[in-house]
Amino acid sequence: MNTKSSHSIHITRDKCIGCVHCLAACPTRAIRVKEGKATIIDELCIDCGECLRVCPYEAIHSHTTSFAALDAFAYKVAIPSTVIYGQFGASVLPNEILSALRRIGFDEVYDLSSICELNCAATEEYLNEHARPRPFISSTCPVVVRLIQRRYPSLCGQILPIEPPREIAAKILRSILPKAVGVPAGKIGIIHITPCSAKMVSINSPATLNKSYLDGAISIRDIYPQILASLRKSEEDALMRHLFPETLFSGIGMGWSLSGGETRGLKSHRAVAVSGIQDTMRVLDQVEAGLLQDVDLLECAVCPDGCVGGPLEVENRFLAKGRILELVAAAGEHAVVDIRDVSRLYHKNFLSFDHPASPAESHPLDGDPARAIRKAKRREKLMALLPGKDCGVCGAPDCRTLADDIVRGFARLEDCPFVKGKKEKR
Amino acid sequence: MPAAEAVFRQEFPVKGGDFAKAGVVACKIKELLKELGLDAAIVRRAAIAAYEAEMNVIMYAREGRMDLAVSPEEVHITVDDRGPGIADVELAMTEGYSTATPEMRELGFGAGMGLPNIKRNSDVLHIDSRTGKGTRLKIIIRTDGHRTT
Repeated sequence: MNTKSSHSIHITRDKCIGCVHCLAACPTRAIRVKEGKATIIDELCIDCGECLRVCPYEAIHSHTTSFAALDAFAYKVAIPSTVIYGQFGASVLPNEILSALRRIGFDEVYDLSSICELNCAATEEYLNEHARPRPFISSTCPVVVRLIQRRYPSLCGQILPIEPPREIAAKILRSILPKAVGVPAGKIGIIHITPCSAKMVSINSPATLNKSYLDGAISIRDIYPQILASLRKSEEDALMRHLFPETLFSGIGMGWSLSGGETRGLKSHRAVAVSGIQDTMRVLDQVEAGLLQDVDLLECAVCPDGCVGGPLEVENRFLAKGRILELVAAAGEHAVVDIRDVSRLYHKNFLSFDHPASPAESHPLDGDPARAIRKAKRREKLMALLPGKDCGVCGAPDCRTLADDIVRGFARLEDCPFVKGKKEKR
Repeated sequence: MPAAEAVFRQEFPVKGGDFAKAGVVACKIKELLKELGLDAAIVRRAAIAAYEAEMNVIMYAREGRMDLAVSPEEVHITVDDRGPGIADVELAMTEGYSTATPEMRELGFGAGMGLPNIKRNSDVLHIDSRTGKGTRLKIIIRTDGHRTT
């Protein structure tokens, strides 16, 4: 089932003991335990990482880019998620972190907070120009885009068609750097540093671009030890960065990784921010039922509290959030990006999607409506036979999913230990 | 509706005043219609109509029931409630007309778009209401997507 997976989440069979933690945690019911091992159904997985968070045996891991893989590039560029600024405690400044990344092997490192501000200004412009539909939904969280394609296909047209900051930054750098540094485009590697593995999926199989402008994504967790070691070794550099700060950080963009951060900079539009996978699904259900039409922009992030709650960060998210809020306050409210630059890029369609997100193929009970109805009726009958305890022992997350799997031909009623026990007693 | 064996039916109880469960039934109906392989646009129309109908029961009635019946050609949603009924159906069909209390409005409901919204998203809407007794809505959405009203 996993042979040609484009997903970032994988199960290490040797470590999996076939327990039910991931089964219960998966919001799209994409996991089954078969022959004592968890397997992921590719079509249903949205790469949210909820399973990775709950696995007690470290049997679920995410595929992100390894640091060694960067050797393929002559010139290495890092564009870290702003989450990184919250990972190293209260005394380390963002400039020190960027500098540490240069020391551990990146030729250049660019801050994303200004691009976040740019994205916000472009979003404002888009909302001004497009009165309908409402609400638009932001595309920053790649899991939200995938969730919409799979579970809320009718909302695909409501995704605001401006690329997220990581892609915009990479696109700008890709167009300017080859000339500026004198290295052929193909030899320049532009890497995102990410708190979640879903960014990897949006790089490998982008939903709204023909090709991603990024070459990979390194997890914060993987690169953290090297950054920390480098920070420890360089008191002098820290002093330099304190006294001669090079990068101007945007206070409007700095808080982008916190829930509500994306929409905080909007001046004349009503925005609502939602975080966490369950709440995101609840609100998207409401949007599909025709609600929230008085909201201009809906910001959804499936991680709790926003990207700062990503499964691949190191610092606990409350401390990270506190630190980032300090940095937001320190950077202040003034804009660092020239609105004329934003307008020029926006009107050149430089910031736009290549194409809208398209609905994923649906998986009805049967392609033929009459047969689908028969299967749904059979499923109801099966439900009456199952205990409703949702124990997961059959390998499906709950009784309804087992009934569903049975009518689809993927499971048998005897897989239920209660049904089997009853039969054996007789 | 064709013969019983070709129709999928399911009943959902709705409790009046239970705002915490607002939208739960409409959501279940939506999931079922997706699983039955209906076109996404049809599912969305049914979801909107079902949501508005469910909210009407929650906001105004003591209790109610929603019956879903799906054939390959049609989706029927029948909503029966025991409640105050609608005194003037024609007036209630006017956009913006609402008898919602200030509390309901505070929660974002009662914009007077409920019944008109159901009408807009369905092919057939029958309203049968008795003041002081209750209301029955019959909503029909054709799966071929062609609207006749």
